[in-house]
Parts: sequence; C-alpha cells; structure tokens
Amino acid sequence: MIFQENATLQQKIAILADAAKYDVACTSSGVERKSREGYLGNSFASGICHSFAADGRCISLLKILFTNECIYNCKYCVNRVSNDVPRATFTPDEVCTLTVEFYRRNYIEGLFLSSGIVDTPDYTMELICQALRKLRTEYRFHGYVHCKAIPGASSDLVEEAGWYADRMSVNLELPTEQGLRNLAPNKTRKKILTPMRQIQNGMAESRELLGMKGGNQSAYWHTQKRLGRALPGQTGKAVQELESAKAGNAEAGKAVEKMESAKADSPREERMIEKTGIAENKKNGSEERAKNTAGGIILPSGNGVGTGLAQWNRIDTSRGFVPAGQSTQMIVGASGESDYEIMAVTEALYQRFDLKRVFYSAFVNVNQDNALPMVEGQPLRRREHRLYQADFLLRYYGYQASELLSEERPFFNTCLDPKCDWALGHLEQFPVEVMTASYDALLRVPGIGAKSASRIVKARRTGTLDYQALKGMGVVMKRAIYFIICNGKKMYDFLKIDEDYITRNLLENDKNVMESFGEKVTYKQLTLFDDFQFGN
Amino acid sequence: MSDKPVRVYQCEDNISGVLSAVYEAGISGYGHKYIKIQPLAANEIYELELFTEFVRVESSDEKVESVLDAVRNKISNRAYSFVMCAAVSTYSDRGDAIYQFLTYGFSMGDKVCDAIQIPWVKRAFEIRRRVFNEAHFFREFIRFREVQKDPALLVATIEPEHHILPIIMDHFSDRFAGEWFIILDKGHGEAAFHQKNGDWEVRILTTEEEKMLAELGEQREEYVELWKTFFKHIAIPDRKNEKLQRNMLPLHYRKNLTEFIEE
Ligand code: SF4
Repeated sequence: MIFQENATLQQKIAILADAAKYDVACTSSGVERKSREGYLGNSFASGICHSFAADGRCISLLKILFTNECIYNCKYCVNRVSNDVPRATFTPDEVCTLTVEFYRRNYIEGLFLSSGIVDTPDYTMELICQALRKLRTEYRFHGYVHCKAIPGASSDLVEEAGWYADRMSVNLELPTEQGLRNLAPNKTRKKILTPMRQIQNGMAESRELLGMKGGNQSAYWHTQKRLGRALPGQTGKAVQELESAKAGNAEAGKAVEKMESAKADSPREERMIEKTGIAENKKNGSEERAKNTAGGIILPSGNGVGTGLAQWNRIDTSRGFVPAGQSTQMIVGASGESDYEIMAVTEALYQRFDLKRVFYSAFVNVNQDNALPMVEGQPLRRREHRLYQADFLLRYYGYQASELLSEERPFFNTCLDPKCDWALGHLEQFPVEVMTASYDALLRVPGIGAKSASRIVKARRTGTLDYQALKGMGVVMKRAIYFIICNGKKMYDFLKIDEDYITRNLLENDKNVMESFGEKVTYKQLTLFDDFQFGN
Repeated sequence: MSDKPVRVYQCEDNISGVLSAVYEAGISGYGHKYIKIQPLAANEIYELELFTEFVRVESSDEKVESVLDAVRNKISNRAYSFVMCAAVSTYSDRGDAIYQFLTYGFSMGDKVCDAIQIPWVKRAFEIRRRVFNEAHFFREFIRFREVQKDPALLVATIEPEHHILPIIMDHFSDRFAGEWFIILDKGHGEAAFHQKNGDWEVRILTTEEEKMLAELGEQREEYVELWKTFFKHIAIPDRKNEKLQRNMLPLHYRKNLTEFIEE
C-alpha cells in the first residue's frame, strides 16, 4: 500500500476525488431551506448544478471520500484492500474548510461525504459524524450535505449523521443478493437494508413531530398520490393499522385489506422481489414473519431498529432528520442480472423504503478482475440510459415495472425507449384526443412529457388547440403524431395506427437513441421538475 | 382600414423606457394592430419607413408605476412576472410582446398566462422562460473570488444577455447573507453590491469603475488551484464526453468560470 504520509491538501483532493468519482449520485435537491442568521448558506429545492466535468456529468457537491483506505475487498471497487493505489485521509477540519471555502465561491452546493471502511464500520461512521458535527456546529454551514450511512454501523451513529445531513444514502451495490455474495463478500443485504429502514423510519418520525422542514416528498410519492394509489411509506403505517385492526378498528382493517389486495395484484413481482433479496427477512421465524411481513413490508429486526429517534434533546433538530430523503445506487452489468430484476428492485425501494432516487451505474471493470465480466462500455451505458428512462417513467408518469417488462421479456428494447415501446404494445389505447384526454393519458403519449402535458391541460381551458399550438408547447411531433388526434383530426391523413408502420418511422427518426430522450435525465438535475417542482 | 399608418412608439432602451412606451401606447386607443414599440439602442441606426408615424416617448416613473400597478391589480402577479421578465430582457420586440400580451390580459385576466396558442402570448411566455433560464444559469455558473480579507470581500463577474442581476440577487443575498460581495455584469456596465447582513442594490457603473471591478475579479487566490484539482479529478476519464459537456455547459458561459480559465 502506498501511503501519502505528508500529502498536501491538493494531493489529498486529487486522491480522494479520484476515489469518489464513481459514485453516481451528485444531486443537491430535495430540500428548500432559507438562510439562518450567523450561518452560511441555504438550500434550493430543485438543486443546483455548478459545473460539468469532462465526462459531461454535473458537479453539484464537493464529492469526496473521507479516506480511501478500506479493509474490505469488493471486487468492483478501486479502493479495495488488495489494490495498490495511493491512499490518503482528510482531517475533519480539512473537510470543513474545503466545503465552506468552495461554497463561498459558488463552486458547489455543499458536501457529499463518503468513505472507505477504516478499522470497523463504527469507527468509520464516527469519522463521518465528527466531520459533519464540526461542519454544522463550528463552521456553521447551512448548505446541503449528503453523506453515506455505512452498513454495519451502529444505529446511534447513523442517527447522529442523519441530524446533520440533508440526504443520506446506503448503496445497494448490486441488484441481486447473489451478486452481492459474489462480488462484495463483506456486505450482506441485511446490513445494507437495516440502516435504510432506520433512516426511513427516522424521517417519518421527524416529519410527524417537526414537520417537513423544507423537505419534499419524492416524485414517486406525488405520482402515486395523483393516481390514487397506495403511497410509499404507508406500508409502514399498515403495520400499525394491522395491529389496531386486531383490536377491532374497522376502518384500519379496510386499509389493510386494500394493501393486501394491492399485493395480490402482483404475485409475480413479489416473487421477483424475494429473489432479489429485498425481502430477505421473510425467511425468519414464523412469528417474526407474521409481524414483519404485514402489508407486504419487511422490517429487518435487531440493532434497536424501529425504536425510533433517540437524540432529540442532545442535538440541534432545527433542520429535521434527513429532510431531503434518501437515495441509493446499484451497479449494472457486473452480476448478470436482468433489467426486469433491476426495475422490480427499484420499484420495491420506492414503495417500501420511500426512497427519493435510485441511481444506476454502468459497471466499469476498474480492477481488470477476472471474476468480473469484461464488457464494452457502450452497450452497458445504453442499458444504463434505458434504466434511467424507465426509472423516470416510474417516478413521474406512474408506470409500473410490470407494465414495462416481464419474466418472459426481461430486457428493454435497445432500439426504442421504454415509453415508445410500451405505447406500441398498447395501440388499442390510442389515438388519444388531445382536447379531452386526462393529464395521465397525455403523459403516456410518446413525445409528450410532464411539461407539455400540463401546458396542454391549461391552454385548452382557454381555447381550442391545433397542431401548430402543440408544437409550441414542446410536444415532440415526430413521435406524437402517430398517437394523437386533435379536435377529431389526425395531423396527416395517411398516418396509420399500425405497429410495424410506426416502429419503422420512429426508428427512422431516431437514429441516435442516445441523443434523443434524456441524456439530461441521466446527468443533469432536472431543475424544473425534479422532486416535483413544476415550473410554470 | 389599410390606409391607417402604423404608429411606432420610440423609447429609451431600458426598463423604464419600454414600460413608458407601453403606457403611452395603452392610453392612445390607436388600435393594437397598428402599434409597435421600438426601444432605441444607442449605437444602432434605424431606417425610416413609409406609411409609419413615429412618436417619441419620454420615460417617467409615473408611467412605469401606472403600468405595473394595473398589471398587478387588474390581471395577476403571474402576469406581472411575464411583464417584468420581458422588461429586463434585451429582445428588440420586448415592448411589443408586453403591450400585446397586456391587451389580451386585460380582457382575459390571469388565464392569459396559459393561453400560449396566441402568438404574442407565446412570445411573452418564451421571453420569460429564456430570462428565467438565463438567471438560473447564473445561479449555477458564477464564481466568486475572495479579493480581500478582514473584512472578506467576494467578487464575481458575469456577462449575461439580459439584465438578470435583480433576479439572481434574491438568491445570493440569502445564501451569502453574512458576506460582503459584488457581482459585476460586465456587458451591461452594472453591478450589484451586497452589504454583510444588510441590503443590496444595483448600480450603473462608469467605465473606470467597471474596469476596476473587472480587474479586481481576476485576482489570484489560493482556492483556485484546489478547485481546479477537484474539477479535474472528479471526471471519469473513460467516460470523457466533451460534446455532452458542451451541451450542458455551453462555451460562452465558461468565459468567467474559474475552472475553465488558464492562469
Ligand atoms: S467497502 Fe467495498 S466499495 Fe466501499 S470502499 Fe471498501 S472496497 Fe470499495
């Protein structure tokens, strides 16, 4: 191991930014917070990018590791113990000074602090807490902070970090449990899900007692609400409701029935989720099981989880507990999983863990490790791109994973984006009449997005629309024309509602799929409507 | 009706000029189809057209207030933001956009803001979007330098197309409430001055003041190198993608960004 004993601050930045750069989440969204007297900074609900790196990714936060030393040996990671790379460690004061000084110059929105595992998970989490404690109390930093919860760290430390951080994340690492066993042998699904559940419960408790504190619900939550579906996090309540139903509360009983029937609607997905390990505690003893799987959710047990927040009176609670919510990321293409497995896991994370965001990271074989696939970058990145598109459909448009993929068809179409692909499979629902269709029906039209749909809904109240007007509202005509009529008229008489015909035309229009829908979705924070800030 | 000449209201090329012209046009009752508003930029030459009559508009605060009051009271705050965004923009048709938008607005009320199938409303909508977008870019792509310690003073330079200082100052005066700072809008010769824990104001600068501030804003300081190091190392080399980077951060925004300046 190469130690940089007397590394300068500049050398440390180089090493520890290098080591952090593969983490894909760098958003600063999710909490609106005004400044506070005597403190530096505020926070903007939809997040702010400050620059774009040479790879085209947004730079929003000072994304660094506290240290890149690590006792673990995850096969896919540059920092693993068996690698011979330069190592460095910040002091808490260095982290604080850099954050504050970068922030004052408007280089960044705040800090994203992660770390390799030094000594033990607890020791590492304590280092992270030390840095954040200083940053909030001594350096009086009031801007955005994102930190990792280290799997296996004690719940006390995870809680403390949650009072300083705006967002926390625990990396799921790999979509399947098997993949985790093979590639990250020191981690288990349970160790990963335990802090995730703790943070979810803590957030719920904090919101109930302190209010939202400028935080907002996830886009997924808003979409489910709009569609009248069960809300994420309600699953948690279902447990209580189940308890009170036993005590004879009829209304709560109904709610539980609803949950149960929602669950019965998708037995296949349930199976899929079990397979991917999000539901691992199902294998527990039968009593445990009856309690823990109520309403379809699984609560990891032990470690005092579920006992709730314990540090109310020791800590400054004015920012709330993890007000910007939690996110996670998984590596795609390292362990042979299907897109369907990934989307099922994603959906389960949104529903059962109330996550704000799930990020996907196309696997890069940084270690040239033989246990790992040698894949070419391009197809994998296209796959990652499709996953982000599908994720977007889940969060904003109300699609369900089972509508997009199935066990029989577990991969996304490489040539067509998931929304077009879905529409082509459901031509019986088209064409849609633009003047009368509901907002949600409009959203399902290829070429119409959330912004154009809401503009259409507003504008048609003030008068009749035509195709020219639709174009002006941001509708992508070359896609939409096959699927809409406006005032009973097709745009061109010769258009046919025919799968082959439309597919051919769409592909013709769409030679470079990477350029069409959403590089933006992947990389840039959606300033207007991420986390549901509709602009106009 | 074809023999009625088009009447052009010529005004100063600034917010007060344009809104004063909107006022004059509005009370004239001349018929909105025959009215145009032309802000006269200092160095441009305007040709006289046939069948056109010209009216010179004197700017006045009363005229401006009267227009803005009417928008707020008779239409809505949303309409007010359409008007203000157009007024701070630099498009030569902004006066027309405001005037025509308002003729619809006074009959439709707040709904006018959604009626983007009407061409002039769409234009006002578009201008507002562009101004907001630019303002948002300059919340992102603006860098301060600490040019003095004890008391610390931060200076930033921007070169926006529109007069967006007031819009972004709302943001920075909250974020950096406890700092002394200055944002120089180099192209327009204006700067916003913020006092520590106090107010801010936008001032029109003399050429010397502008030059002095611009030089001050280029001063070297220690965090520049640290930031550049971070910027370089946070990119994934295998994923180098200059085209995407350019799409996201167009070259003309990079002019004053620390990480893109060679020093
Ligand atoms: S725990 Fe695994 S992924 Fe994290 S730094 Fe260590 S080796 Fe890398």
